[in-house]
Amino acid sequence: MSAPFDEELRRARLLVTAGSGGVGKTTTAAAMAVRAATLGRRAAVLTIDPARRLADALGLGELTGELRRVEPRHFTETGLTADGELWAMMLDVKTTGDQMVRRFAPDARTAQTILDNAYYQYFSTSLAGAQEYVAIEQVRALIDEGGFDLVILDTPPAAHAIDFLDAPDRLVSGLGSRAVQMLRTDGDDAGFGARLTRGGRGLILRGLNKLTGGPFIEELTRFLAVFGSIIDALQASGEAVKARLRADDTRFFLVTSPTRSNVDEAVRFRGQLTERGFPLGGVILNRAHVPLAAVHDGPDSRAELDAALIDGGLADVPADRRARVLDGLFAGLDRHNALADSDILASDLLKRATGRRPWRIPLFAHEIRDLGDLDRVARELRPVEGMSSAPDDV
Amino acid sequence: MPDLDRQPVPAPRFVLVTGKGGVGKSTVAAILGLLSARSGARTLVCELDSHERIAPMLGHEPVGGRVTRVEENLSLVNIQPGEALEEYGLMKLRFRTLYRLIFDNPLVASLVRFVPGMNDLLMLGKAFNHEREADDAGRPRWDRVIIDAPATGHGITFFRLPRIIRDAVPAGNMHREAADMWALLTDPRRTAVHLVALPEELPVQETRELKARLAGELGIPLGHLVINMIPSAPFAPEAAADFARLDEPRDPRLHRMWTATRIRAGRASAAEKHAVALRELGLPIVELPQRPERTLDRAGIDALAALYAEQLAPDGPREDAGQSTPLEGEL
Repeated sequence: MSAPFDEELRRARLLVTAGSGGVGKTTTAAAMAVRAATLGRRAAVLTIDPARRLADALGLGELTGELRRVEPRHFTETGLTADGELWAMMLDVKTTGDQMVRRFAPDARTAQTILDNAYYQYFSTSLAGAQEYVAIEQVRALIDEGGFDLVILDTPPAAHAIDFLDAPDRLVSGLGSRAVQMLRTDGDDAGFGARLTRGGRGLILRGLNKLTGGPFIEELTRFLAVFGSIIDALQASGEAVKARLRADDTRFFLVTSPTRSNVDEAVRFRGQLTERGFPLGGVILNRAHVPLAAVHDGPDSRAELDAALIDGGLADVPADRRARVLDGLFAGLDRHNALADSDILASDLLKRATGRRPWRIPLFAHEIRDLGDLDRVARELRPVEGMSSAPDDV
Repeated sequence: MPDLDRQPVPAPRFVLVTGKGGVGKSTVAAILGLLSARSGARTLVCELDSHERIAPMLGHEPVGGRVTRVEENLSLVNIQPGEALEEYGLMKLRFRTLYRLIFDNPLVASLVRFVPGMNDLLMLGKAFNHEREADDAGRPRWDRVIIDAPATGHGITFFRLPRIIRDAVPAGNMHREAADMWALLTDPRRTAVHLVALPEELPVQETRELKARLAGELGIPLGHLVINMIPSAPFAPEAAADFARLDEPRDPRLHRMWTATRIRAGRASAAEKHAVALRELGLPIVELPQRPERTLDRAGIDALAALYAEQLAPDGPREDAGQSTPLEGEL
């Protein structure tokens, strides 16, 4: 049976899920990938969330920096058939950084010099932001060389997602910048420092050294000089991903939960995405309460509902306790519908802000545990119109 | 000089709040700020280049990059990396013209831009400077500095930064300051890092890892673990047991009621299971219920702060912490 979102999964080559922390981006990305595999596509899901959230539900035990295939038996065990393939990995900064250096360095010796440098450690393993640089290469390689029909990219929470998505642009412009260009033309150790020292710039270098109070700048520029040898190749890769993120068959999906602050952030984030020319596929309202028709509360309906409770297995429960259960059921429905109303408000806000109708994933009674649950999430992913209230009972 | 009579403020004076994205770190930082200020400690709560959730939560206008006193003993700031760089630069260089000469230089600008992690380092450095900031009389300006730290993943790197710089830069100002920062971060007499988690499946595992990495790998002193947004159960225990026995109803009306209630009951019982696992991590626990309102306002924060204070009180009702949950039965 086809589901409303299948068309997107068949058409796209790159899907990017983005949004605030805790809204279910990673789960949504995984669900899309599972569904794509059942639709016969060769799909890879790439998460940069170091918390390894995906692994459990995918049955991988642990997600590593290595691309791993979800075994077909995990599909069959949950009653799914996967004509395609499902692969998953977590971006491991250290591994991908090393791979990148080895790949782009002109020769093995240069690669080793870079890998051994103390500042390379600083760049590749430890500092926030380095991930973004190395992610570029990973995404590009998966799409261009991995032979995948569809790559689904899960991004960091919104505040950092823009940094992440800007990485190709920043890298390209950073690498093209004057400072870095200079590293390339005079690859000798003192290049950058020498340039800074020249002319009126002696003052600048002295000032910088005063700031850091040590040989930090010289050390750093020495590293950048060696690093400069891989710049051409890196820059080309950065350009390729820059274009990939904006290609015709790339779609960004903003995931949000219905809370006001997350909706506001999604609206803000959407602006940042369009500003940068990223193709927005839509907004997904996750954990939405789907409205349920109200039930009249009166003596007659109470009597009928009580009979239904008895019919449902509570015959041996005393009447006063059945009444309490019924009270709770009425309260449960009211509360659910109150939340559904506020979710519709959220979806209206999103619709107004984005000019298109949002998608929604309903709130499930239990947590996501396996591939079957993930598949269900993707099948339940529907345009919000499907949420409108059913008519009241007679 | 009433200040001379000030009671020493109990440790820690440098407080960081971290956890996964969306778990309510800012809420917890806001609550801790309120409680600290009410105890009489001059308190500064720092957000790091965020969309400023704390000021609006407390019912105040956003404060921006300037330290702003919002109520008695409580100031807020949203630290901006650019301003932090300028402040640090001016402190070391002393002359604005010299600062401009250096940082307006395109070579330097692109170098700064090219070095990853620079912004985090600058913001952490600024928060650190607030910790040791002195007033005109040379006394500490703040009794307590609370930081709404970045989400985990990003956060681990963030905590590790000073050590990286200390080890990567062999000598000089930067080395010294990084070493001081690291000494502060790892000093249990001055610092505590509180963790925030939701009672959901994956956060339990993540919190376990986070605890191991912060405390084990980095030696950073942990404070308590806040289990946030615990959903309330739809039934008191007896009615819950009756409800659980109910088969999927055939009556369509009862079916809808059952569906709605089951979602809530399912989430509440799953949450309880995960709360149990979180309580077993061996950290002092604070439990906060899910608030009914979608956007937390001052009234909500005050209510949560009262619950928080109750659980933190040394002789408060925490003996039964292992069992109790603040789930409100509605029946």
